[in-house]
Amino acid sequence: MWQSILFNLIQVAVVVGLAPLVEGVLHRMEENVQSKRGPSIFQVYRDLWKLLQKDEIVSGESSWIFRAAPYVAFVMPIFVTLLIPVLTRYPLFFAFMGDMLAAGFLLALGGFFVALAAVDAANPYGAMGASRTRMVGFLAEPVFMMVFFTVSFTAGSTIPYIVQASWSAVPGGFLEPVHILVILAFLMLILADESRIPVDNPSGQFELAMIGKSKYLEYSGRGAALIKWAGCMKLVVLTCVLCNVLVTPWGLAAEHTLAAVLLAIPLVLFKILIFLLVLVIIESSLAKLRLFRISEFLSAAFVICLLAMVTRLMGS
Amino acid sequence: MINLFTEPLDAFCGGFFLLTAIGIVSTRQILACLRLFVIQALLLVAAALLIGVKLSSGDLVAVAVITFVTKVVAIPWVLKLSAGSEIYAQREIDQVLNIPLALLISAALVLFSYFVATPMVTAVGQPFTDINLPIGLAGLVLGAFTVTVRREAMAQLIGLLVMENGVFFASISIVPHLPVIAEISAAIDVPVMSLIIGLLIRRIHKRTGSTVVSELATLRED
Amino acid sequence: MLAAVLILPLLAALLVLLPIGHRGRWPALVTVLTNAILLALALAIAAHVLYAGAFHEWNRSLSIDAFGALLLLLVTFLGFTTAIFSWGYIVERRVGATRTDKVRLYYTLYHLFILSMVAVPLIAHVALVWIAVEMTTLMSAFLVAYEDTPASLEAAWKYVVLTSMGAILGLLGVLILYWATRVAGDVPFTWAGLVTGAPHMPKTLLWTGFLLILVGFGTKVGLVPLHTWLPDAHSQAPSPVCALLSGVETSTALFVILRLFPVLQAAPLVADPRPWFIAIGLVSVGAAAFLLLQIRDYKRMFAFSTVEHMGIIMVAVGLGGMPAHLAAMYQLTAHALTKSFCFFAAGTTLAATGTQEVGAVHGLIHRAPLAGTALLLGGLAIAGAPPFVVFISEFSIFRAGLANGQYLSIALLALFVAVAFCALTFHINRIVFGRAEDSPVHAIPKPCLAALVIAAIPMLILGLYLPGPLAALFRAAAATLGH
Repeated sequence: MWQSILFNLIQVAVVVGLAPLVEGVLHRMEENVQSKRGPSIFQVYRDLWKLLQKDEIVSGESSWIFRAAPYVAFVMPIFVTLLIPVLTRYPLFFAFMGDMLAAGFLLALGGFFVALAAVDAANPYGAMGASRTRMVGFLAEPVFMMVFFTVSFTAGSTIPYIVQASWSAVPGGFLEPVHILVILAFLMLILADESRIPVDNPSGQFELAMIGKSKYLEYSGRGAALIKWAGCMKLVVLTCVLCNVLVTPWGLAAEHTLAAVLLAIPLVLFKILIFLLVLVIIESSLAKLRLFRISEFLSAAFVICLLAMVTRLMGS
Repeated sequence: MINLFTEPLDAFCGGFFLLTAIGIVSTRQILACLRLFVIQALLLVAAALLIGVKLSSGDLVAVAVITFVTKVVAIPWVLKLSAGSEIYAQREIDQVLNIPLALLISAALVLFSYFVATPMVTAVGQPFTDINLPIGLAGLVLGAFTVTVRREAMAQLIGLLVMENGVFFASISIVPHLPVIAEISAAIDVPVMSLIIGLLIRRIHKRTGSTVVSELATLRED
Repeated sequence: MLAAVLILPLLAALLVLLPIGHRGRWPALVTVLTNAILLALALAIAAHVLYAGAFHEWNRSLSIDAFGALLLLLVTFLGFTTAIFSWGYIVERRVGATRTDKVRLYYTLYHLFILSMVAVPLIAHVALVWIAVEMTTLMSAFLVAYEDTPASLEAAWKYVVLTSMGAILGLLGVLILYWATRVAGDVPFTWAGLVTGAPHMPKTLLWTGFLLILVGFGTKVGLVPLHTWLPDAHSQAPSPVCALLSGVETSTALFVILRLFPVLQAAPLVADPRPWFIAIGLVSVGAAAFLLLQIRDYKRMFAFSTVEHMGIIMVAVGLGGMPAHLAAMYQLTAHALTKSFCFFAAGTTLAATGTQEVGAVHGLIHRAPLAGTALLLGGLAIAGAPPFVVFISEFSIFRAGLANGQYLSIALLALFVAVAFCALTFHINRIVFGRAEDSPVHAIPKPCLAALVIAAIPMLILGLYLPGPLAALFRAAAATLGH
């Protein structure tokens, strides 16, 4: 049992510690694709360090929500990390505390607090960003539910570890239409949830066009650092769900030894790197959608997921 | 090895086949529609090869070759030749319905095709029909839906071609030994259809200055 | 002999492209001669079938029975009269552009169109029959668009897209039937093979295949509600093309559907197809009859009448029993002969007055007596007035239905036919009689008159007297529809 808890803690440490690196690599790759040199892959660590040193300025008009939101946002991905397979293919200590629905709920709770805080600060851009994020959230919700239903129908369970085992058990199951369609729908969901192209432009600096970023405009110092870090972790957590549970359920530690778990770290990082490559390809080949076309994007995701369900339920 | 993975790989082709059909329903650019169609034809070729090798059916390999020649090579070329500038127009094309609604209806249509196909699959129980028949039927129905909701002539033609692809995707599983003479004739039929419709599009374009065929509505009961 | 029927139009299609003669007389002459030979061949084939039974050629890949021979006879007869009419309408009158190469293109497509239609009853393999039916659409697309007006292009577009959609649905139906023959054992995929194999076929395959073919080819036949393209194409095409489209092209598609009737009856577990045929037929007849009341274009009027007649044939087949099937064959023949005459008359009227609108023509019989008389005869004949052939055929359908005791179907059919009769005679009356205007009338080309006379002969004679061999052919054809 203690070993299980230890591995769980290693898992959390990996996600917390390496999340800024993943974000840095992503930035670097994006810039490279655009034929620029780009910042160092460790730039995000430096940014976080600098922000943590600085004083924090909080509006006197804002309530406790504004101050609590960064901490809530920071903690939620860590909770989720306890539930999902990051390094091991066998369930760890906290694995049965909650299922995929709980993980989605925890992430959504963090997002909810940040949105509240954006309204709380009374900055007009914050409220606008919050309402747009909610719009995307409303549209993404049915897709999330469909993914959840389809996965649970296929695997007979909603615990991420069990789902992962069911995909990797049958060699044929991996190529089934339902699997491919669910992966695609979940990928589209990540793009929407992470405010990436084609839903939002993460590198844009124009407040009126922002969806995700304008919620954090009021934060400074430690609050800004925590929210930025939380964003990195959320990306890593979602990537882990996609890579480890849905796409490639291989390369994870199978044995209950420390060496196997440590060996899984580079393998998982390699998988995440490949995912980042896909992300960069998507981001550099698509244009941002107009705000009212986001519904079309997410309805496409919804229908793809519906098809996955249909092929699964009717097909066999 | 290949034998073990034939069925999953065929299913894999089927999943993407369905996706391309959905994509053709919802894409706004003509050029993208045509590309999706070519990808779909390639998936059809792959599935025909897989099933052909598995069932050692020379007819299906011939089908794969014919499909490749006609749908991947000849049809894009014929369309370029006959309707030239039209395909390469980069403008966005309109739909009668908005895209989310069209997508939802497509999903319902796919469900419908499964309902139609399942009794046939269970009645006979032939290998591959459980994947190819419903998905092929879905391709057929989605193609018909594309023809109905698109206003642009070229998009309607692509819809017809998707219907044809759907039929062939189903047929490679249900009748793996159709005489090649029938396949060849069908293969001639498809480029001829594209050529004639392409030429008609050109005439309409020349005569009315537009290819939005839904605006051609002078003939009707009143 | 069967192969010659396929090769001849193909040769002629190339022959008309030769740059011989001037003003397009060469292609017109070649076409009339070719179609005369085709008609003679068809008569010989029909005689052979009648006295020696169904026969095959080319290793059984071509084969024909009585029903096929009847259809072949109709196609070639209409091909012949239409060839004469085209000489007047296309070559001498010069519809649309005046360029000779356009006339040559017309005749090339004409031969290919005839080829695709004669191929339908000749080809044995059902999958190849499908291709022949699809080719009838593709080869006639530019004939419909011949006049190159926006309206004709619109009609051609609807025609090609909707009937191709139908054809692709039909293709899946054909393939499912092929699948069924494989499951039933190694029966050949021909019409006869389907009938023998039907008892062993899985019920769902047979029924799904039939429904797909019904919807798919029903689009081409013009069954309501799949008829929307038909009035457009059949009114915007040049009149000789309309005669072929309405007279026999619809019948070739109907031929495929009717061929499945005995197959379904031979399968014991499948639902009885007869009520379906009656219901679909009645819907078509009823809708067409009421739509006929509101038309404004007299070619459109004849087009709707085609929808009506296709429905009547479906009902006749659905009634079941030898007398009803015999009546169906009679009706098929009567419709082809009469409808081609009607479109010749409509074309002559159009040539004389220059308008297709019902309201724009009055007192035609005073202004252009020949066109007026033809339109009057055609209108009365297609509406079903005695002593024309349609009257006899419809009467025999009613009699067969009453003998079967299907009173409701017959009552509805009689009601709809009566409505259609009133609508047709009302519109014809408006055009033909009334006060004549003084607007100028164009001369009618002589070949058009010749075609009218030739087309009128069987329309009149068959109403009064049915020659023995033809009656025998009808009986043999009706027998192919099963018990």
